Amino acid sequence: MSDGGAREAGGAREAGGPATAAEDDGAGRGGIRLINVTKRYPGQGTPAVDDVTMTIRSGEIVVLLGPSGSGKTTMMRLINRLIEPTSGKIIVAGQDAMGLDPTELRRHIGYVIQNAGLFPHMTVATNVGLVPQMLKWDKKRIAERVDELLELVDLDPAQYRDRYPRELSGGQQQRVGVARALGADPPAMLMDEPFGALDPITRGNLQDSLLRLQEELGKTIVFVTHDIDEALKLGDRIAILDKGSRVAQYATPQEILLNPADAYVEQFLGGGQAMRLLQFSRVADVPLQDVPRARTGDDAADVRRRIEDSEIGFAIVLDERDRPVRWAHPEDVEGVSGPIGERGMAVAPPIRARDTLQQALETLIQIEHEWVPVVGPRGVYRGTVTLGTLQNAIKDMKDRARTRRRPS
Amino acid sequence: MSGGPPPAAAAPSGEAPAENPAAAGEPRESLHTPTGRSWRSWLEPVAIVLIGAAWLLYVENSDLDSIARRSLATRYVGQKTWEHIELTVVSTLAVLVIAIPLGVLLSRRWARPATPFVLAVANIGQSAPAIGVVVLLAVIWGIGFWTAVVALVAYGVLPALRNTMVGLQQVDPTLTDAGRGIGMSPGTVLRRVELPLAVPVILAGIRTTLVLMVGTASIAAFISGGGLGDLITSGVSTQRTPVLLTGCVLIALLALLIDWLGGMATRLLAPKGL
Amino acid sequence: MNFWEYLDSRRERLQFETWQHASMVFQCVLAALVLGLLIGLAVYRSGRLSAVATSTAGVIFTVPSLALLGLLITPLGLGVAPSVVALTLYSLLPIVRNTIVGLAGVDRTLVDAARGIGMTRTAILLRVELPLAWPVILTGVRVSTQLAMGIGAIAAYVSGPGLGEQIFSGLARLGGANAINMTLAGTVLIIILALLFDGCFVLIGRLTTPRGVRV
Repeated sequence: MSDGGAREAGGAREAGGPATAAEDDGAGRGGIRLINVTKRYPGQGTPAVDDVTMTIRSGEIVVLLGPSGSGKTTMMRLINRLIEPTSGKIIVAGQDAMGLDPTELRRHIGYVIQNAGLFPHMTVATNVGLVPQMLKWDKKRIAERVDELLELVDLDPAQYRDRYPRELSGGQQQRVGVARALGADPPAMLMDEPFGALDPITRGNLQDSLLRLQEELGKTIVFVTHDIDEALKLGDRIAILDKGSRVAQYATPQEILLNPADAYVEQFLGGGQAMRLLQFSRVADVPLQDVPRARTGDDAADVRRRIEDSEIGFAIVLDERDRPVRWAHPEDVEGVSGPIGERGMAVAPPIRARDTLQQALETLIQIEHEWVPVVGPRGVYRGTVTLGTLQNAIKDMKDRARTRRRPS
Repeated sequence: MSGGPPPAAAAPSGEAPAENPAAAGEPRESLHTPTGRSWRSWLEPVAIVLIGAAWLLYVENSDLDSIARRSLATRYVGQKTWEHIELTVVSTLAVLVIAIPLGVLLSRRWARPATPFVLAVANIGQSAPAIGVVVLLAVIWGIGFWTAVVALVAYGVLPALRNTMVGLQQVDPTLTDAGRGIGMSPGTVLRRVELPLAVPVILAGIRTTLVLMVGTASIAAFISGGGLGDLITSGVSTQRTPVLLTGCVLIALLALLIDWLGGMATRLLAPKGL
Repeated sequence: MNFWEYLDSRRERLQFETWQHASMVFQCVLAALVLGLLIGLAVYRSGRLSAVATSTAGVIFTVPSLALLGLLITPLGLGVAPSVVALTLYSLLPIVRNTIVGLAGVDRTLVDAARGIGMTRTAILLRVELPLAWPVILTGVRVSTQLAMGIGAIAAYVSGPGLGEQIFSGLARLGGANAINMTLAGTVLIIILALLFDGCFVLIGRLTTPRGVRV
């Protein structure tokens, strides 16, 4: 089947919605492409995966999200040929997966499952070193690789190397599971509800670790989950699947929240998109309020003039390292000559730019100040937020999505 | 030491053994053929009876000399079969009457410290060869039916005792706790909670004991205890192969039949919901 | 002659028979282990074949040992042959059943994980399935050994080797001077052998079960 035909089919199914265009520019070096892939089990009327075409770009985390029975796991298992497709083409890192030896293929695609699936009769080191060992690396190289991988997943090699899986907590086991999947430094990794069985706190920690790891390694990751919050948090792109692996929408988390492709997606999101937007957008991403700035050494009359020139009615005083310290109102500087010094009201503890909008909202509701400064790295002042700022930001996002939808 | 699952759970039907594979290897437990749930389970006894009848017909109509003919007379064979059943049933009943109350007694809270000791003795006892126990008792006590019964009981009581204790130990402690929690007396907990829940294991023990007894009863012939073993010994001593083979075939069929009966009983008597 | 004097006077014969008994049991169980593993491996993937294998072995197992030995005399004659065949057959059931149960009991997700990281069929069997099933298989071997010890005693009735000879000699001299000594010697030595073997299995189990799966 020609690539052109594949693109047509993909387009006809409107798999990607606005993101369909992404399929045209290919998967990149470590990417994965499914082309008209169908999996039909004998004796079952409807196929488990029905003519799916999808491109997973190199270095992205793509989440397959859907209810049980949507074929998301089947779809993932087709990629490393744990399930053989009935028809269609699968391309992994530029190679036709069907033309490779399945075991060889799997050694070069990391595989992480729920509960980690560590072999209980092998030590952590043996588990992690399995794939390098099967690839016939020498012992010294394997040992070094194992230590390197354990450090990568935040486990002290000296402490954990010789332990057995059941001597580890669930979260630690899953860290080892990820390390094992990365054994031979595969370009791609498949993760099948890896954090599904963990308690919420551990799950959150592991999600953060995975994101940090991904920043460092830039793997192509296919991540299966039924947890929409997990999908929004981890996915660079999310594919929402319906029965028969119909790709209802394949887009970025923001896009999905702002612009659900159809009723099914909307129903799957189950409302609360505004709250979720707050949860997955960062303060740094929204326009902040600009407030007149002053420094402790500035002349009081000068500061007063700046306040009067703006509509805000007060100024923020920064220290010598640009960190916010006080609010200065006109009455604070009334009749003062020379530097403003220590006059004014101390600012509330600032909000960080990398906080989520939800965290910002939380802070705004809890403290008595209406205005709260936002700081970047090293506490440097970036702007100011109020409840209104957040409200406007959400409104803007929705407006933008609406205008974007219109031309398509 | 954990106990084996009841026979039904040992059926390799795919899902059942996965639950407790470590417990599957206990001696003399759950070593039976799985009993099916349909009409097919009736095929086995019918086949057993048919094979037995066919064999007897064949032997009676083959060319036998007078010695063999006398040993294979229908009345004689019938009598030996009956003796065999008597030996089996009497000794099984005796084993159960001793082992179950003793097992219950030994699994009471105050007797718990003795449990490992009793289990160890039971294990050692199980290492004793049946033939050794039977002959030893005959040497000490003289030969005959009752010596055979005593020997069989001595041989069978330890496994049954262990089975009962293990069955009671397996009862989920949270359930006995719940029983006590709602104000049951220790006796009521035993009667209403522990025993009903231990019934499957105890029933499996009865089946095991039956099969053990039917097999060991064939040894009784060595000490004039009667039973189908007589056909084997006389077949060997008179060098009449048809007699020997008839003895072997009938014992084998009887054992299979009794195992089947035990299996049916296990299924019919087991409390619902377990 | 008291028991100790008897033991002393027959030292050499008893030593020989003990050795014979142990060696017979060992060899038969070993044969049953090889056979049982092969059968188990051949059938464990199919529920139906597993059921057939287990019930066939179960039928053999239910047939009382004396009957089986008697049946075997006709084709095999007296002596070592029927004893060894009977012992091996009896040892087969616990091993076959535990091999099947053990292999079927291996967590499917582990096999999936093994496939997923690119292990070959053989590697999965040798490195994942068999090691994980091993404790269960070993328990089967242990049960088999205990059974074979006792049944081995009856083998003397068909002129088989081993300590059963003492017991049957005692039976033949019922009422005679040494009857009780002979029977007791045979019985006690078999018990000791059985316990020794059992101890060995506990040790083997300890040594061959990795720390990670020890109960």
